[in-house]
Order: sequence, then C-alpha cells, then structure tokens
Amino acid sequence: MRAEFTRIRTLPATWIALAVTLAANTLLGLLAATDTVRVATSDGQVAVSQLGTVMLAPVYAFLAVPVFAAGRELRISLLATPDRNRFLLAKLLASAGTTIVAAPVLLLPGLLVRHAAGSLPAEMTAYLLLGLVGGGFAVLTRTAVIPLAVLLALPVLVSPMLAGLLPGLVRLLPHEATLSFLGTSTGPALSRTAGFWVLLAWAVVFVGAAWVATVRRDS
Amino acid sequence: MIEISRLSKRYGAKTAVDDVSFSVRPGRVTGFLGPNGAGKSTTLRVLLGLDHPTSGTALIDGRRYRDLRHPLRTVGALLDGAGPVPERRAIDHLTWIAQSNRIPRRRVREVLDLVGLGDAAGQRVKKYSLGMGQRLGIAAALLGDPEILVLDEPVNGLDPDGIRWVRTFLREFAAGGRTVLLSSHLMTEMAETADEAVVIANGRIVARGSIEELTAGHASLETAFFALTEG
Ligand SMILES: Nc1ncnc2c1ncn2[C@@H]1O[C@H](COP(=O)(O)OP(=O)(O)OP(=O)(O)O)[C@@H](O)[C@H]1O
Ligand SMILES: [Mg+2]
Repeated sequence: MRAEFTRIRTLPATWIALAVTLAANTLLGLLAATDTVRVATSDGQVAVSQLGTVMLAPVYAFLAVPVFAAGRELRISLLATPDRNRFLLAKLLASAGTTIVAAPVLLLPGLLVRHAAGSLPAEMTAYLLLGLVGGGFAVLTRTAVIPLAVLLALPVLVSPMLAGLLPGLVRLLPHEATLSFLGTSTGPALSRTAGFWVLLAWAVVFVGAAWVATVRRDS
Repeated sequence: MIEISRLSKRYGAKTAVDDVSFSVRPGRVTGFLGPNGAGKSTTLRVLLGLDHPTSGTALIDGRRYRDLRHPLRTVGALLDGAGPVPERRAIDHLTWIAQSNRIPRRRVREVLDLVGLGDAAGQRVKKYSLGMGQRLGIAAALLGDPEILVLDEPVNGLDPDGIRWVRTFLREFAAGGRTVLLSSHLMTEMAETADEAVVIANGRIVARGSIEELTAGHASLETAFFALTEG
C-alpha cells in the first residue's frame, strides 16, 4: 500500500496529469462562470457549463494512467507482491486514496468559480468511480493509451452521434451516467439516483473483469 | 534450494517448456544454458510466479513463489521485460520496492553503493547506460538480502569490467552458502562463472552436471554446447 503510494508519487506523469486536470477544471469552471464562450450546436448555443462531457474527460488521464498501467514495472510489482488478490487490493486502495486526497484540490477551484462548492462530495464520488472504470480498463488492455482513447472517444464522438438514434442506450454509457448522476447532463438523462447506480455498475464490471484477468492470466 | 519438477508451459500450440526437471543447490553458481528461444526465460517466469505452469511445479524451499508473503527477502530476481518506468529516479524505484516487502530504507543506499551506482542514485533511469540499468536491476534483486538469486541474462549489455564484477560478485555470494541460478546463452562467460550447468534446447533439458562433466570429451564448453543442442 505505502509502496504503491510512493510508486505513484514519484512518477512524473502523475504530477503532469494532476496539473493538466487542475488547469482544465479551473479553466472550464471560469468559462462556465463567466459564460463568455458559447458553443454552437444543432439546437443553437449552449453554454460551456453544460458541456459537462469535456469537464469530466481529464479524470481518466489522471487516475487510470499512473495507478494501473505500469508497463515494465508491472512485473516488478508482481515479483514484489505475487499474490494477485493482495496486488489488486493494494492498487484499488491506492487509487481510491489518491482520489480522495487529490480530488478536492482538483475540483475546488473549478467549483468555487462556479459557486457550486456544495456538489464536491458528488463530484468526488464520480471521480472515484470513473477512475475505477478507467483503471479496470487499463488492467484489461495493459496499456494506458487504449482506455484513454476509448473513454475519451465515447463521450466526444460516439454519444453525440448516437444520442439522436438511441437515446435509451447512450444514457447508460459511463460518461452519460456520470453526468446524469451529477445532474449536469445535456442529452438524454437518467435520474440522479439511476445515474449513480449505472456508474457504480460500470465500475464493478470493469474492476471485476480486471480482477478475473489478473488472477488467471500470465504476465 | 530450487526444485523444478516435470514443468511444462504451452502458449497456445507452442510448447515453450517441455517436461523440465532440475534442482539448484545452495553454495554453488548454477548456469541455465540454452540458445535463443530455448525456454530459459519462460522457466524462470514460471518459477517466479509470473506465468502459470501448464503442468508440473516449480518450488523455492518447498513453497510456490506466489505463496511467499515477502518474497523479495527470500528470492532476488532480475528478469527481462521488468524494470522501472524510465522517468523514475533510481532511488525512488528501489524505495517503493523496499517498502512493498518491508525492507528497511537504509538498504536502498547500501545496494546502490554495492553495485556502484551511489553517485547516480538521483538520476532518472532513462539517462542510464545499458550497463547502469543492468546494475540497477541487480541492486533491486539484492534489496531484500535474499538467500537465493535468480538472474535472467544478467551480463547482457555489460562491458568486460561489468561482466567481471558480476562474476566475482556471484561467486562470493554462492561461496557464502547462498543459491544462484543464472541464465545465459554465452558459453564462454558461463564456463568461468558457474560451477554447474543445466542445458536446455527446444524446451527440453538435454544435459546437466558440473562444468567439468559437461565439457569432458570436448575442446570447450562451447563445443560441448553445440554438440548437445544441435544433436
Ligand atoms: N508469452 C508468450 N507467448 C507465446 N510464445 C511465447 C511466449 N513467451 C515465450 N514464447 C515462446 O517460447 C519459446 C521460449 O522462449 P523463452 O523466452 O523462454 O526463450 P529463452 O531461452 O529465454 O530465449 P532467449 O535466449 O532469446 O532469451 C520461444 O519460442 C518463444 O517464442
Ligand atoms: Mg530469455
């Protein structure tokens, strides 16, 4: 556990991802608060504050990369902790711990400029669960790039395209569920509670699949 | 004591290791010899709990590696495809490994000095030369002051000085009653480092014994090796 934190803390990529996320959140928060930028969509103009999609995107980069996609270091980790259950438990706890420590720092500036500090607990929960989805995905594919690409492509490309055709399906995607949960969805939405459960289910599915894969397969 | 018995490993249709049995005793340096693709790394990965055996067992002091609670204090290992993220500093790399197995922090300094990286401890690993990277891997293997060392091609990329350093170090390590298993495809190097050798070709053990026994009747270990692995 402590070793896992040291591992994360001493990786430059962690700090870069943190800085980028912080900057993006603050910037988006500022834009939303001042409502200076409006983005044209088919329905006319939408304030950036409603483009929650973009807002959540950096989360994946921040959580999935440093914790789970360790590359060459994966084998070192497994040599040090050969029991696969202990290995994954340490990773999960470390990622949760990192989120709990880092999320307030990342989120507060953005929330404060939007005068929405009250939604911090909900946003932290969303970060935690999304991080688990990304992390589980990273374990499965053993890279950071594929999960990042897929998880970014889903909200940015796929859901806008499918939103009109299959609204029932799109709102179940991890991203859309998160937005529903946070009450910031712009497209077809679930109730906040349903959004939470759907997001939780995604996290459970990805972590579960990662768990099975890690116990079974070779490294 | 390392005991490998009737170990097989298949990857799909490819049999990488085929019914391999041998044991490695303390107090000696045992070489694991074979040409490229013979199955050396695969055997060592199974021994260290990274890959699952298709059948058979590989035990360390009677236990599976995966069942060791703080394995680095019993077995030190150097494997290919395992190392630090290049952006990391050497000292941070060793520190998290030490923490994971409750190894006192002062050991990090000790092993860095031992392998001659004391002055480069704070550098990022990507700035290291091939030889320095290999020394760092050996330092990581020594962190837990283990009784057993398992090294996959430890002299790969080392210059003559580095090779001599590894050789002297391993010989002293074994002379103290500890166990060393190292793989190599470099016969001449092995003839001078190891007391015994296990020779593997195409996934099967083709010979084992002391270096003298293996070389008997041949001009050198190298010619013995070609005779054994091409037969
Ligand atoms: N993960 C894998 N999937 C499929 N085949 C594999 C895998 N790992 C090894 N092999 C195959 O098993 C055989 C043995 O490989 P191994 O790496 O154990 O050889 P080696 O003796 O270490 O060779 P070298 O001296 O080149 O390191 C090779 O033919 C290799 O292609
Ligand atoms: Mg090999």
